[in-house]
Amino acid sequence: MKTITLDDLDYIAMGSTVLGTGGGGDPYIGKLMTREAIKQKGEVVLLDVDDLDDNAFIVSIAAFGAPMILLEKLFSGDEFTKAFDMMESYHGKKINAIIPAEAGGLNGVIPIGVAAYKGVPLVNGDGMGRAFPRLEMVTFTLHGISASPITQADEKGNTVIYNTIDNVWGESLLGSTTIQMGGSSAIGAFPMSGKQVKQAAVKNIVTFAYEIGKSIIDAKINKANPLERLLQTTKGTKLFQGKISNITIASDGRWNKGVCEILGLNEYKYSEMVLNFQNEFLMAKRDGKPVAITPDLIVLLDAENARPITAETMQYGTRVFVIGIPCDPQWRTPEGIILGGPTKFGYIESFMPLEELN
Amino acid sequence: MIYYKIGIDVGGTNTDAVLVTNDNVIISKTKQSTTADVSSGIQNALKEVLRLHPIDLSKIKYIMLGTTHCTNAMVERRDLNKVGALRLALPAAKAIPTMIDFPEDLKKLLGSHFYMVHGGFEYDGRVLHPLLENEIKGYLEKMKGEIDSLAITGIFSKINNEQELQVAHWAKEVLGDKIKISCSHLVGGLGLLERENAAIINAALKNVADKMVMAFQETVGKMGINAQLFIGQNDGTLMSLNKAKDFPVLTISSGPTNSIRGAGALSKVENGIVIDVGGTTSDGGMLVNYFPRESTQPAQIGGVLTNFRMPDVVSVGIGGGTIVRFNHNQCILGPDSVGYRLLEKGMAFGGDTLTLSDIMLSNGEFNIKNAIRQKELRQKIEDHTQIDCNTVVEKVKDQIRLKIEDLVDKLKTEAKPLPVIACGGGAFLLPKNINGASEVLFPDNREVANAFGASIAQISEESEIVINTIQKDEKVEMEVLISNAREKLFKNGADGKTIEVIIKETIPLAYLPGAVKLKVKLCGLLN
Repeated sequence: MKTITLDDLDYIAMGSTVLGTGGGGDPYIGKLMTREAIKQKGEVVLLDVDDLDDNAFIVSIAAFGAPMILLEKLFSGDEFTKAFDMMESYHGKKINAIIPAEAGGLNGVIPIGVAAYKGVPLVNGDGMGRAFPRLEMVTFTLHGISASPITQADEKGNTVIYNTIDNVWGESLLGSTTIQMGGSSAIGAFPMSGKQVKQAAVKNIVTFAYEIGKSIIDAKINKANPLERLLQTTKGTKLFQGKISNITIASDGRWNKGVCEILGLNEYKYSEMVLNFQNEFLMAKRDGKPVAITPDLIVLLDAENARPITAETMQYGTRVFVIGIPCDPQWRTPEGIILGGPTKFGYIESFMPLEELN
Repeated sequence: MIYYKIGIDVGGTNTDAVLVTNDNVIISKTKQSTTADVSSGIQNALKEVLRLHPIDLSKIKYIMLGTTHCTNAMVERRDLNKVGALRLALPAAKAIPTMIDFPEDLKKLLGSHFYMVHGGFEYDGRVLHPLLENEIKGYLEKMKGEIDSLAITGIFSKINNEQELQVAHWAKEVLGDKIKISCSHLVGGLGLLERENAAIINAALKNVADKMVMAFQETVGKMGINAQLFIGQNDGTLMSLNKAKDFPVLTISSGPTNSIRGAGALSKVENGIVIDVGGTTSDGGMLVNYFPRESTQPAQIGGVLTNFRMPDVVSVGIGGGTIVRFNHNQCILGPDSVGYRLLEKGMAFGGDTLTLSDIMLSNGEFNIKNAIRQKELRQKIEDHTQIDCNTVVEKVKDQIRLKIEDLVDKLKTEAKPLPVIACGGGAFLLPKNINGASEVLFPDNREVANAFGASIAQISEESEIVINTIQKDEKVEMEVLISNAREKLFKNGADGKTIEVIIKETIPLAYLPGAVKLKVKLCGLLN
């Protein structure tokens, strides 16, 4: 895929939802915005990470805040172009390409729209290969790349530039301003050189999202089983099949923490699965034993058509599959496990790779 | 005091009516054909049910109608108004134009007067942008003479409706008192696009609504009946005619809810699975505390995404007219059906299509007038399939059982067996034992469960807001929400003693500390 066209959007949005592992926000609104942007400004060039010039100036653009707010206070578009423009003027140079910070959820699709608005290419890579709730939880952090200077803008025209001592502070301060701005904002962060992107990015993630989406959406046309196609494309593992029997949610400050219980069906008939989530699904236990742990990806799918279900929209009684997808190898380094693993989220279990647990 | 109620339900094929006493005993019932104009069928059903059991007309206190007028108008793109739409949202929301996801043909019908203006609120109630009177009146002037109906949708109007009401006021100033207005905060829930869509559809249906209400009133008036009239909503509760004129979009899809509730009431089961067997499909729904479980999928009306929750219905191609085929001894049911043309195409009636009704008739499981004799029918079936009739019947029943058990399993959320209630004209097709069911019930009057459901419907009031728990006390706000809803219900005619809280939800908003969505729904019986 050399350019991203209107026809590609449905696939990429579906794939982004899968990579969202239950969180990241519903890409639908991002898809609508991006569709309008491409209609108005044209298709977006997709650049592979290895094709970047070492000295290119690359920046992440993302939406920050509460996805539910975004469903009511729709994007203006200006907030993103402002965050982009401020980064250019602060550095006194043009941005050569945008890289998604987070391929999972809304932020897997929005940067495509922003790239269209600004007429710049999109990098085929991101900082997570999935969704995570906090700014510092990116592969860029693992390489000592600072998120700062961070630009932030809202639809009203308010703008902020942060220089924070570390990426964790970036998340905290952005959070505060975002609330005052009304719960949502656009950010530019992680200004990097092409060389840094080559070292730190999760590669080929946009095409991966596209392939994932295609395997689910086109399965019907090809008379194939969407789950099988999806497992093939992602090299994932089927962890469970059942019906959602219980959902408990409690808010803990910033996050939707909760537990989803699933009663087994078919070959899992006498088993039970428990999914723990904090916006994203972070741990899957089958009959008390962990079978998938963050940073590996845990995805909840509708059994009818293998479409992903977010933690916010789960309902009692839905027949589902649960699958695990191995995370990018960078996350499995000791530093990666500290930054994105179970301890970061307060779980006592230690990380073990998907392949070893199953 | 003894009084009567009449429940009427308009379906795709039949319009059913029941005459019911004040303590919910059915004293007469009828199934009439649904007519193209809908109203004639309603009149026929009303007349017939009173002919079968004449009563003192002055004792009819309520008539409840579940109708497809609005659904048909949307699906057939008929009689829709020219609509104007104002979105109170700038400087936000520019990236996603109004009606961006409407089907093109529908969009063309509605006209081109949709504009975004400054306005809206933040999630915590602060003003996003004040209204600019000149800007808004400028657009209203443009709409003069070109629209019948106006939809007004503001960001977070569910939290503060002042701006929408102000714009409605200006609209009446510029466009005259006769202009019909749909304020989104009264029509839909949180989620701007879906609520805006719902408000626009609502505005587009205003003419249809007026016709629907007038036809109902005239039909009833012509018969000399002086009852209080109600129209059913998609959640199974009732609206007064005035409310139906203002909120026609809410009348869409009241049918499945009426069936499910009716079946529950007929069998006195509060929690179970209801399977409504019609001419073409069997539709299953879950009854939870006497109400149908809501679907997780947002409702699409005429191809437009809205945020109405419809009953969670799972359908399978098993109906009275379902065509039966044999492929080398393998029995295949449908999914196609002869539908309402059973009496012309079915083998039992001289036709040559083998249907599920024919199978059951050949086995003596039930009788229909005008059917050929059982012996003759059995011969016809054997000639057609080249298999002996008993084997045919057995194989068909096995297939039915498999499909129905799958349907039941799809609906259940736990392993525990639940009662299954059969209703609808084709209920005779269901097996008496179903895996996963604790029992299979065939209540009396099951073929008019939908009309009965309409007659026992309650009135409801639903309300939701987003609050910031750092500033407001969640418990207090919930109580206020409930108490306001209770007030409204009471004013609308509910018996205070019967008012219950059906839904009480607190949903934390992801990524935003302290913000929660509070949602309540109350129901009550009519006085």
